[in-house]
Amino acid sequence: MTAKTRLRLRMQVVLHMVMAFVVALLMAQLWLFTVTLEAMESREASVSIVMAALAFSALACAAVWALIRFFLRAEAQQM
Amino acid sequence: MPDSVRWKEDFPVPSAEDSYATRREFTKFLGLTSVAFLAGTCAAVARKLWEQVTAKATTAVAVASLDEIPAGGSKLFRYPTENDACILLRLAPEKFVAFNQNCTHLNCPVHFEAESSQLVCPCHHGFFSAEDGKAVAGPPRRGLNALTVSLRDGQVWVQHDS
Repeated sequence: MTAKTRLRLRMQVVLHMVMAFVVALLMAQLWLFTVTLEAMESREASVSIVMAALAFSALACAAVWALIRFFLRAEAQQM
Repeated sequence: MPDSVRWKEDFPVPSAEDSYATRREFTKFLGLTSVAFLAGTCAAVARKLWEQVTAKATTAVAVASLDEIPAGGSKLFRYPTENDACILLRLAPEKFVAFNQNCTHLNCPVHFEAESSQLVCPCHHGFFSAEDGKAVAGPPRRGLNALTVSLRDGQVWVQHDS
C-alpha cells in the first residue's frame, strides 16, 4: 500500500466521521424546523419555544460549517 | 483480448459524460442544506412573532346577539380578518365558546354536532371537544385555537387572548 493510498483511506475515514456528525446535525435541524412550524400554527405555543428552536438551529448550522471547514483544512494539510 | 478489457466493450461506461462531485462540492451542498433549514426556521419564527403582534392589536367584536343562537346551536363568523373563519357555539343558555374553524390537521372547516357535543372535521374524521376545543379522536394532535368569549349589552363578544 503506497503512502498516497494510505492517506486517501485515512481521509475517507475522517470524511465518514464528519458526514455522520453533519447528518446528525441536519436531522436535528429538521426536527427543530418541524417544532417551529407546529408552534407557529398553535396560538397557545410560547414564543420562547420558537426562539429556543431558532437558537439551537443556528448553533447546529454553525457546527455544520465548522465541521466542513475542519475537514477541508485537514484534507488540504495532508495533501 | 483479456477479459478485463472485454467487459468494457460489452458494457461501456461513458465516463466522460458522468458528473463527478468533489468532496468540497458535496460538503458545500450539506452546508447549504443546513443554511436552508435555518432560513426556514427563521421564516417560521418571524411569522409567529408577526402573529403575536397582530393578535395583540385586535379588539373585541360583537358577533351575535344573545337570543340569536339557541342552546345547542352554532354560528359562523370571521375574525379577526375576512380570511379567518371561526365558529361560535352555545353549549348551554349562558355558556358560549368560540374557536377557529380550521381543523388543525389539514385546515378543513369543522362543524358542530350538538348530539355528541363535538366539533367534527368531515375530511379525515377528526373530533374536537366542544367544551375546550381539545382534539379527542382522529388525525389532529393539536386542539382548535380558542377565542375569549364575553357577554355584555345583550351581545356575544369575542377576542383573541392577549
